[in-house]
Amino acid sequence: MEAIAALERDAELMLRVRAGDDTSFGVLLDRHRAPVVHFLYRMVQNDAVSEELAQEVFLRVYRSRATYEPTAKFTTWLFRIATHLALNWIRDGKKEKGQESLNDAVEGMERQVPDRQPTVEQEMLYAVKLKEVREAIGMLPEKQRAAVMMHKYEELDYSQIARALGCSESAVKSLLFRAYEALRVRLRHMA
Amino acid sequence: MNEGIMDCLRNAKSGAETLLDYCSGALEPARVAELERHIEICAECRSAVEAQRELWETLDLWKAPAVSADFNARLYARIARENEAPAWRRWIRRLTQPAAPYALWKPAAVALACTVLAVGFLVEMPADRHAPHAPSANAQIETEQVDIEQVANALEELDLLTPPTPSKATTSANPM
Repeated sequence: MEAIAALERDAELMLRVRAGDDTSFGVLLDRHRAPVVHFLYRMVQNDAVSEELAQEVFLRVYRSRATYEPTAKFTTWLFRIATHLALNWIRDGKKEKGQESLNDAVEGMERQVPDRQPTVEQEMLYAVKLKEVREAIGMLPEKQRAAVMMHKYEELDYSQIARALGCSESAVKSLLFRAYEALRVRLRHMA
Repeated sequence: MNEGIMDCLRNAKSGAETLLDYCSGALEPARVAELERHIEICAECRSAVEAQRELWETLDLWKAPAVSADFNARLYARIARENEAPAWRRWIRRLTQPAAPYALWKPAAVALACTVLAVGFLVEMPADRHAPHAPSANAQIETEQVDIEQVANALEELDLLTPPTPSKATTSANPM
């Protein structure tokens, strides 16, 4: 019930934005900024690019406020735009120009383990594991990668992922099964 | 999803989906209980569940970094710049950078189809005036004209063959 209320609230906020209430846009931005940036970060594996693309997502939402109709879930719409931008960026080959080296994983790790001081050994082990996870995900075909990112990390359901990717639910399930199977094989040694 | 569990995850048609839903916490509670009872007695399914769970935990290692503190400020600055841009530029941006990713190609496809039809129509029109069909119509008229002449000639020939009319005969027989 809470989830439904949240969805209705998103649509309501967007309708207010359509009516000219920019404060409601700020509320939507605060609510959805992190999931969108995180999804894009895992898709393009580049910190700066992910934020740039996320800005583009919200800019496009704002631009189309006048014609907004609550026909689909707001989150689905956001992820549809985000997926489109991420896939375009990957296909445009910008990946080679701007992608952080996977060797930079240690730097990322320092930000990601803030709760207690890890030993140097733990840090190194973590960095190696993280690099392998990123590489394994990076090796997935684009659509499989997008499906896994939305399913695993953003917890979208099959129908939302299907609408974001523009395919059927059964196609999404098929993408996910193949992707998880590939990941299981590639990351088996880490278990 | 409604098949009796467990027919083993690997054999059931929806086994893979059940496995995914279980590990992602999306499986209905009744099904969770059923699955957990099953994996206690089925080593194969237990192994499948453990493999998926391990993968899940491995993937959890990858945390995304925090979003920059100035994210909103940069976005609002971009929005302000856009609002200051001329209306035609904003209109072009909306057209070329749609919020719905599929919005652009559909009208473009319709426009392309209309253009192809229009060009095809224009190319076909002059051809109607000068080439193949026009001569054939003229030929038909000429043919009709020839046919009329032929008929007239034939009638004249028939006329020649026709014996003189009685009036002529009468006239010629008149001794004056």
